[in-house]
Amino acid sequence: MQEVLQYIFSGITSGAIYAVIAVGFSMLYNSTELINFAHGEFVMLGALSFVTLSGPFQLPLLPAFILSVAGVAVIGMLFERLAIRTVRTPNPIVLIIITVGASIFLKGVGMLIWGKDAHTMPPFSGHPPLDIAGAKLLAQSLWIVAILFITVAGLHLFYKKTLTGKAMEACAISQKAAWLTGIPSKFMVLLAFGLSTGMGAVAGVIISPITMSSYDMGTMLGLKGFCAAMLGGLGSLWGSVIGGLLLGILEALGVGLVSSGLKDATAFLLLLFILYVRPSGIIGSVEVERF
Amino acid sequence: MSDRRDSRTGSRPLLELEAVSKSFGGVHAVRGVSFQLTPESITGLIGPNGAGKTTLFNLITGLFPANSGRMIYEGETTHKVCIHELVRRGISRTFQNVELFESMSVLENILVGQHSRTRCGMWGSIFRFPWVLREEQQARRNALALLEFVGLEDYAAQKSSDLPFGWQRLLELARALAARPKLLLLDEPAAGLNIVETTQLGELIKKIREQGVTILLVEHDMSLTMTVSDKIIVLDQGVKIAEGPPREVQRDEAVVKAYLGTTG
Amino acid sequence: MDNRSNWHRIAYAALIVIVVLTGMLVSNAYHLQLLTFIGINTLLALGLNMLMGYAGQISLGHAAFYGIGAYTTAILTVHYAISPWLALPAAILIAMAIAYIVGVPTLKLSGYYLGMGTLGFGMIVHILFREWSGVTGGASGFIGIPPLELGPVSFSSGRNYFYLVWAIVLLSLIICRRIIDSRLGRGLRSIHDGEKAARAVGVNTGKLKLQVFVLSAAFSALAGFLYAHLVYFISPGTFDFITSIRIVTMVVIGGMASIWGALLGASLLTLLPEWLHSFSEFEMVVYGLILMSVMIFLPQGLTRGLMDIYERSKRQPDR
Ligand SMILES: Nc1ncnc2c1ncn2[C@@H]1O[C@H](COP(=O)(O)OP(=O)(O)O)[C@@H](O)[C@H]1O
Ligand SMILES: [Mg+2]
Repeated sequence: MQEVLQYIFSGITSGAIYAVIAVGFSMLYNSTELINFAHGEFVMLGALSFVTLSGPFQLPLLPAFILSVAGVAVIGMLFERLAIRTVRTPNPIVLIIITVGASIFLKGVGMLIWGKDAHTMPPFSGHPPLDIAGAKLLAQSLWIVAILFITVAGLHLFYKKTLTGKAMEACAISQKAAWLTGIPSKFMVLLAFGLSTGMGAVAGVIISPITMSSYDMGTMLGLKGFCAAMLGGLGSLWGSVIGGLLLGILEALGVGLVSSGLKDATAFLLLLFILYVRPSGIIGSVEVERF
Repeated sequence: MSDRRDSRTGSRPLLELEAVSKSFGGVHAVRGVSFQLTPESITGLIGPNGAGKTTLFNLITGLFPANSGRMIYEGETTHKVCIHELVRRGISRTFQNVELFESMSVLENILVGQHSRTRCGMWGSIFRFPWVLREEQQARRNALALLEFVGLEDYAAQKSSDLPFGWQRLLELARALAARPKLLLLDEPAAGLNIVETTQLGELIKKIREQGVTILLVEHDMSLTMTVSDKIIVLDQGVKIAEGPPREVQRDEAVVKAYLGTTG
Repeated sequence: MDNRSNWHRIAYAALIVIVVLTGMLVSNAYHLQLLTFIGINTLLALGLNMLMGYAGQISLGHAAFYGIGAYTTAILTVHYAISPWLALPAAILIAMAIAYIVGVPTLKLSGYYLGMGTLGFGMIVHILFREWSGVTGGASGFIGIPPLELGPVSFSSGRNYFYLVWAIVLLSLIICRRIIDSRLGRGLRSIHDGEKAARAVGVNTGKLKLQVFVLSAAFSALAGFLYAHLVYFISPGTFDFITSIRIVTMVVIGGMASIWGALLGASLLTLLPEWLHSFSEFEMVVYGLILMSVMIFLPQGLTRGLMDIYERSKRQPDR
């Protein structure tokens, strides 16, 4: 029992990270119907720039956090402006290859800047782990879950309460209609890229104290974040959160109770299952036929 | 089944719809529509935009299933029958917005149209058995004959998307004929054609019928519909509001109202 | 029509001449192996091109079939001491059977969902290679795969293997060409142009997609077989997500819906890393940039893109 609780704790920790990544996928998909295969690389950029800013540059945590997220968001917007918007035939295959190209490019850039070594980062706070029914809960896990909920609640408010957020939702429903009503849809797409890659960076920042960060960490994280987004229903904010947590917990339980070989397979088995059985995700309502 | 006879000609209807309905979410596109198509007849299906004509075509050709009702084709239900099977049994169509295979040549479009009438598969194509070559040659001859029928024989090698719009409609008609249909559904075949082309199309439609094909024609051009059709069916908001010979239907009050109420 | 098949005949002849001359002139073992790799990659690209270029269905998991081909022959020849020539049909049939089973539910998806479904399948197979160590040798790989021999002819020499692979490539090009030019190929292309219309003219799109998926799996497994007996050692890393992406890239860069595009794409993508070695540190950056720029500026791929540019320049004087 105590063991299971321990697995669930660690599952929630990694699940929260998948959730943040999934939210990034979903936000982008919502406004642009695009899936960014380079999303994981933005997570990597967030993690490594945060490590550098707070390590060698000695910035306090909060400014380092904000700077790295903002910096990555700017790179994300540049990517949209320079690559995505210039595409003449935006069909899925072309866009997939472009974002894959971007992921290789960014990985290369990461390697040039940070080398091939893994970088570590101390936890956000020095609190000792909590003891709950014999299972240990790291302070960093609490930080991660708290940041997940704060950012997602913030995004929720942004979409529901601000004019810009509502305009983005309108773009999501129909770019053409949004354009007709005077919403600058190009700007909205740019903003969506900024927000989405910014969320990727947030994931990178919060993961950096619990794993080693290196230039090639992004691919697997990106794929799993995508699986989480599919699980919850691509395009749904809270669905992505649930999908991420669910994936994290199932993965941890799979590793703990069945076999460690299952770790990476869990996400993809779930992905296939959801695609075959209920492509709209467990709570989503996306029509698959349309795409 | 065989006792369903048309009162006038005494033959079994080729297609029979019984209370067919289809809705999309809240939109009732087709509501309880019933009618019969006599073999070798031309039936005009008219109605204002959004009346459900195209939806009815999609139902008959099996693109999606009806929510309720029955469709009997040649005495057998078409419920849950795959589209390609319906094509093989003789139901062919054209689209309201021309849907040609744009990367292919004019000739190849018609060859694809013969898909259900030919049978060369993976092994046949790799080993090119003598029967495969014969089949291919026959298919090409058929295709050229069809192109000649619609007057496009000189453009066989052109890319289909390079044809002017009116000719694309003719090509789509020829492609539908390539499947050797018994029932041909034409969805606004004259839309975008000029007067001369429309008249020629009317002649073609009559010729096709003479070859024993039953035709269901959706067309806004009343001069065409009224001259070629033996019978007119009028739909409005998914409901059949009138059915009868062209002259009677033109006088029908409900029809006049439906058309005056909208744009006509 | 005849014009086009003449053109292809000339191209086949040219390819034969080039292959024979290259085989005679190149003696450096490393170069011969590189050229052999181009052949193997051409088989991969050719198979995927049938699926992607002609039927318009993406697969981001084709490395799985490549791996299934390689591991099947490795396991059969090493663990069970079966002749490679018997392992070859086994490898192909197993890959085809798996493609069939996976294809039935997966090919119902489209667009990004199909991409993700195939990606998930590829990842699972890759993880299986890595974790099922009792059979596959696990992460450290599988050693001791025997060289190919046919009676007195040994293919352990680089030159013989080079000829073998390219003979198979040539045969495969002809097979694909024949399929594309047939009723079946026209059916495939009609799916690519418009699935709704294809169904309406009587093409059984579901069956055709499945057939071509299985066919492309067969080509990939054949490539995997040839790879395993070329290098005698295989490990899961060769059959990962990146490899799947690389195959897609070969198809797209070379030009979709063109068998010669597959050859061009495979050649470029095999040689590119060699050239990029001189960039050493910058290799990934340059590779990524090339991928993006080709897709942005020549989304039809090099073959089609260059042909379009040529035709436009030819047409100019008329206007
Ligand atoms: N695939 C579909 N999804 C949702 N609504 C549809 C679909 N097809 C048709 N409709 C709706 O059904 C109604 C009838 O449309 P349609 O059959 O195209 O009319 P017509 O061809 O007579 O102009 C319209 O209100 C249309 O919006
Ligand atoms: Mg219509």
